[in-house]
Amino acid sequence: MKLQTLRLLGLGLILLVFLALPLLLGDYWVYTITIGFYYAILAASWALLVGYIGRISFAQAAMAGLGGYASALSVQHAGLPPVLGLAAGVLVAGALGFVIGRLTLRLHGAYLGLTTIAFAEILRITATAEYQLTEGSRGLQVEPLLQDGSRSEYYYLFLAVTVACLALMTWLLRSRVGLFFQSIREDEDGAASLGVNVTLWKTVAFAISTAFAGLAGGLYAHFVQLITPSMMSLQEMGIVLAMAVIGGFHNVVFAALGGVSLQVLLEGLRELGEWRLVVFGLITLLILRLMPNGVFGTVADVLTDRLRKSGDDK
Amino acid sequence: MSLVAILEQALNGLIVSSFYALAALGLAIIFGVLRVVNFAHGELYMLGGYAYFLAVASMGLPPVVGIVVAAAALAAMGALVEWLLIRPVYDGRADRPEEYSIMITFALSILLLNLANSLFGPWPRRPEPLFRGGVEIGELIVSGDRLAAAGVAVVLIAVLLAALRYTWAGRAVRAVSQNREAAAIFGISVTRVGMLAFATGAALAGLAGALMGPVFNVVPPMGVIPVIKAYVIVVLGGLGSIPGAIMGAIILGQVESFATILIPDPSRALAYKDAYGLVLLVGILLLRPQGLFGTKERRA
Amino acid sequence: MMHEQLDISGLVKRFGGLTALNSVDMTVGSGELLGLIGPNGSGKTTLLNIVSGYYKADGGSINFERRPVLGHAPHQLARQGIGRSFQVTKIFRRLTVLQNMLVAGLSDGAQSQSEATDRAMGLLRDLKLERLAHERASSLSGGQGKLLEFARIMMLSPKIVLLDEPFGGVHPELKRFMHDHIRKWNDSGVTIILISHDMGSIFDLCQRVVTLSYGDIICDGTPEETRNDPAVLDAYLGDHHGAA
Ligand SMILES: Nc1ncnc2c1ncn2[C@@H]1O[C@H](COP(=O)(O)OP(=O)(O)O)[C@@H](O)[C@H]1O
Ligand SMILES: [Mg+2]
Repeated sequence: MKLQTLRLLGLGLILLVFLALPLLLGDYWVYTITIGFYYAILAASWALLVGYIGRISFAQAAMAGLGGYASALSVQHAGLPPVLGLAAGVLVAGALGFVIGRLTLRLHGAYLGLTTIAFAEILRITATAEYQLTEGSRGLQVEPLLQDGSRSEYYYLFLAVTVACLALMTWLLRSRVGLFFQSIREDEDGAASLGVNVTLWKTVAFAISTAFAGLAGGLYAHFVQLITPSMMSLQEMGIVLAMAVIGGFHNVVFAALGGVSLQVLLEGLRELGEWRLVVFGLITLLILRLMPNGVFGTVADVLTDRLRKSGDDK
Repeated sequence: MSLVAILEQALNGLIVSSFYALAALGLAIIFGVLRVVNFAHGELYMLGGYAYFLAVASMGLPPVVGIVVAAAALAAMGALVEWLLIRPVYDGRADRPEEYSIMITFALSILLLNLANSLFGPWPRRPEPLFRGGVEIGELIVSGDRLAAAGVAVVLIAVLLAALRYTWAGRAVRAVSQNREAAAIFGISVTRVGMLAFATGAALAGLAGALMGPVFNVVPPMGVIPVIKAYVIVVLGGLGSIPGAIMGAIILGQVESFATILIPDPSRALAYKDAYGLVLLVGILLLRPQGLFGTKERRA
Repeated sequence: MMHEQLDISGLVKRFGGLTALNSVDMTVGSGELLGLIGPNGSGKTTLLNIVSGYYKADGGSINFERRPVLGHAPHQLARQGIGRSFQVTKIFRRLTVLQNMLVAGLSDGAQSQSEATDRAMGLLRDLKLERLAHERASSLSGGQGKLLEFARIMMLSPKIVLLDEPFGGVHPELKRFMHDHIRKWNDSGVTIILISHDMGSIFDLCQRVVTLSYGDIICDGTPEETRNDPAVLDAYLGDHHGAA
């Protein structure tokens, strides 16, 4: 009970900080953190797949790009308002995720990793090659999400969507569905023997995860107002993976926090030039090797442990 | 299409295949022994290119020595990586070994790519190749640097195959690939063979990079596309299979060489060039995950 | 009183050139406690895997409660009342003991979370695992893991339970405890098919024993008949791995 309260208190505090930040920071940092929210949703969506149901995917950044292109193009060609464009992006990314999830049911581990790399690269190559539609690698101009939106308006919008996404994911993962996901991660045959529809949940998990990625990509595109195939690259995927791993990919909130804080850190260390990405890569390796629950996950574990112990003493 | 044009495409395909095979064999050996897909293989290939560049362009060593230097440097690097990062996959220290192996090698690739960017800068380098000029074979004209590199690659592959067959270490590698438990019972140290396999795999990637670097360019992202080809190849041939990897390389070289002719719009065709192999990869993994030539793995 | 609950006929399974089940016919009445024995590699696990939906059959039919079930997915069969254990336990190591139970309790969507939790705690109490309910399953000993697997299956309220070598690596005291539970389970009306190499357990628990050898049923009778059947003795003596 006490643990629960403390957890809520912690989350409330973090939310308060994020609410207050635009009042304290200049435009540049507000912009940076807004981009950080994009990475937060993306990293959380990846964690939902990898951390809970145990399916690896390297197509998450590509899915974000797909959502971005789908949204931008449907606004441009079908004249949809950006909000409906976002919805289209979510649907397209979710639908393709469903198909990939369905097709790859029997694949595991490295085989699944390779297949998703292939899907990701096919998407990126297509976005580059179909330049009549996408403007190729020069990039596609995108309608803004908010007409004349200020930096802080975008910031609060992104914050609200991020919180909503995380709340939705947490609700889902705490329901029986989350339990089924984890049972599948632990042992597929065992889960099936207890009545869990493994096929269904594996497919659904992929679709949900990519739908969130599509939403993130759409938001990003309509915020930055430019979208290029490079956001679908495997290097981008590497950044998303590193963010989730450093934050802690067994918890969507920790992965999201990893996304924002690393985006901020990467901007803050700009003076280091390319070396900051080297440091970033090194930290990812160290975390994977020594701290598999990630930074926030480990901190939370330590705090929980302390609390239990002090509870036992009384 | 004229006969000469067809022959030219086929020969180009074969040349490309020999490079692909060299890179893919390393991936196959590593997977065979360690059951790890090395997602950092492309970056080891890139580092081979830079090792060659440093040896030949900066230190002024002859190209042949440059290639040896690249192989040795990458073998050492591979052994180190195996010891520091890969060993937890099979010694029980990693909680979920397969997931760990995928993520750790992927993260390593990002690290090495950025490290090269920082150390060497993003500019393309063009060290001196093994051989310059064109070679005429009847009516066909092939650029000499490519042909020489391909020739060396073929020789290296032959040496590797012989080593796997006739040396004790090679036989140990094959034994562990085929049956890890049995190999352990016969006194083969899986740890030592694991390190040997990773070092050999890295050296092969480095050799491929050293041969290809001067033909194309030495630049940090140079491994990104070849490694994807290598994935396609090992999947075609069945992950971990060495003859499969060679067959896969030959098939992919020909497919790419001829498939470009299929799309009439040339700039589109060029843009899609790297996608054919990927479509092949997806198709194989979905329909025949054991590869074209492999037999089905037994379900535990 | 006793009706035919599971009716297997002409069941064939091949792995490449190897025939693992060679037209197997077998009926199991509701409420039976049936032993399934046979030397290593005789097809016991294969039979169980087909009945529970993990392998596809190459021929034959299976009726469960008079309805054909061949080709149904494992989770469907689990919900229809076919519970099973695995030769190597498949507990969810990073979930708590209670969560392990809830997966089974919630999978068909019929129970609420609190109903399922109550039932789970009751079952855990019976198996003396209650105090570990909130521990991760990875912290359980091997024997406790086997008990958890039992408890999870009970959570499904199955009509028939297929146990694959439940006594492997289990110390005698725990084995006795498991015997008691299998009996109790069976007394409450659950049909049980027990695969075991442990002849003591089989002859102790079962009223009927079916013997497989190279994919054929070579004996189907009481423990007494099985013990005295020369064909059974032959099958075991011919097996160089020394199964019994
Ligand atoms: N998935 C499989 N692939 C190939 N052969 C198998 C497979 N499962 C079982 N077998 C073979 O089928 C035969 C029966 O095996 P099994 O049913 O496990 O025997 P038991 O459980 O009686 O020891 C054995 O020869 C075994 O090698
Ligand atoms: Mg068996």
